[in-house]
Amino acid sequence: MIRFIDIEKRFGDRQVLDGVSLDVDTGEVLYIIGSSGAGKSVLVKHLIGLLRPDAGRIELAGRDITWLSEREFYEVRKQCAMVFQNSTLFDAMSVIDNVALPFRKHLSLPPNEARVRALAKLDLVGMRHAASWFPSDLGDGLKKRVAIARALTLDPTYVIFDEPTTGLDPLAAAQVDDLIRALKHDAGVTSIVVSHDLRSIFGVADRIAMIYQGKIRLDGPPSAFRASSDPVVDQFVSGRPTGPMQT
Amino acid sequence: MTANDLPASQVKRPLLARFGAPVIAGYRAARDLGRLFVDTFVAIARGRASRKQVFEQAFEIGNRSVPFVVITLGVLGFITVYQVAHQVAQILPDFSMLGAAFIQMMCREFAPTITGLMVATRVGSGIAAEIGSMVVTEQVDALKMCNADPVEYLLAPRTLASGVMLVMLTVVGVVSATIAGMLIAKAGFGIPYQTFLRFDLVGVSDVATGVTKAFAYGLAIPVIAGQAGLQATGGSAGVGAATTRAVVNTSFAVIVLDFVLSGLAYVVFDK
Repeated sequence: MIRFIDIEKRFGDRQVLDGVSLDVDTGEVLYIIGSSGAGKSVLVKHLIGLLRPDAGRIELAGRDITWLSEREFYEVRKQCAMVFQNSTLFDAMSVIDNVALPFRKHLSLPPNEARVRALAKLDLVGMRHAASWFPSDLGDGLKKRVAIARALTLDPTYVIFDEPTTGLDPLAAAQVDDLIRALKHDAGVTSIVVSHDLRSIFGVADRIAMIYQGKIRLDGPPSAFRASSDPVVDQFVSGRPTGPMQT
Repeated sequence: MTANDLPASQVKRPLLARFGAPVIAGYRAARDLGRLFVDTFVAIARGRASRKQVFEQAFEIGNRSVPFVVITLGVLGFITVYQVAHQVAQILPDFSMLGAAFIQMMCREFAPTITGLMVATRVGSGIAAEIGSMVVTEQVDALKMCNADPVEYLLAPRTLASGVMLVMLTVVGVVSATIAGMLIAKAGFGIPYQTFLRFDLVGVSDVATGVTKAFAYGLAIPVIAGQAGLQATGGSAGVGAATTRAVVNTSFAVIVLDFVLSGLAYVVFDK
């Protein structure tokens, strides 16, 4: 289980998170939604030590990980993988070397063994044929699949997806959604998905948490969001351009 | 309307906060830079810099800078010798020590410092832009997720390569400036090559000072530029700002190091 407890985070004069508390149960797919700049990605980056909170704490499987050192966070990052918004493949490395990197760095495997294992992960996302290609040879959808393969290298217990379907065509987006479902059903992976893709949210989520003005506005199953009488939630879920939401 | 209703940018801060904020920011920047230097040197000392990357960076920083350094130092040697010889001809038409003094100044001062400034602009801006782009596209975060320490992966190879290659480039610069100076001395003032090409005034202290300066500039430039890149925020505008900051800070660092190391050299060698 993951627990964010009263997380506060400020960038300059802007209070991005203002006391966010959120639990993520083991094995569930939790979607964190909200308008752009609401602090969704900021919140999840605290879990893997890419950001540190101004106040509050984070617990992972009952352990307080808020102030672990950078070196101690490397152990957490073996359990919690992240698929970044822009895929963030390393341009100078081939696809297979991108996927092999966590094997080499986290597990200190020799390059050849790391590559053999990386090929198996590329198989999972149907990208074995592109192993020798470079990121510049790939479209956004294919890059995202390679990024997912890289995130899955160490068989993580938790995977964070940061806007996994943004910029993808509907087919590629549906494939990513299927992969998130398959990770849950086949491997019991707990997924935290940052998104504002309504089709994906209501198609995949077990639970949804909406961040608005630095706080959790609503936390519940998709049905609770559809039935919500909160005008802010209603405006976001219905995708109306006008309403009470301040962006 | 109360202060709480105003946007943060329009709230008038107390006098102490207005003066104190830049001081605190400066202190934090200096502290972070100090930590980055320590982390980078520790990574190098522990042999964490990938050999392949060190060679790649040595080629990028060193070999690709050769034409730039040859032309710049050649032109500098050309102009310096012409102007000094012109003055000497008017006051004391004895050119016997011209070449020796010129070569000493090149070894001790001009070649390492001008080369350092050239590398600061060419290499420092490149490092800041590359690392800054990696920061804003989250590639640095992705490196951390792969257990690849950005300091070990990005800065240690560049710093080691830069330290070594700046010494090499300084040697190239001295040779280039000396040849250019020798040619203009002969063509403009009829000074024979063997009269110009004298090393009487060049001692171990001059060579040691020049090499130390070049090595120090070489170590400082990637770390300072790297810090500018690592602090990039936002999108392309943030990368642009980081690049500008890198050029300004690395150039300033070269000048400050020149001042400090020149002073130390006089204390150590000329007391």
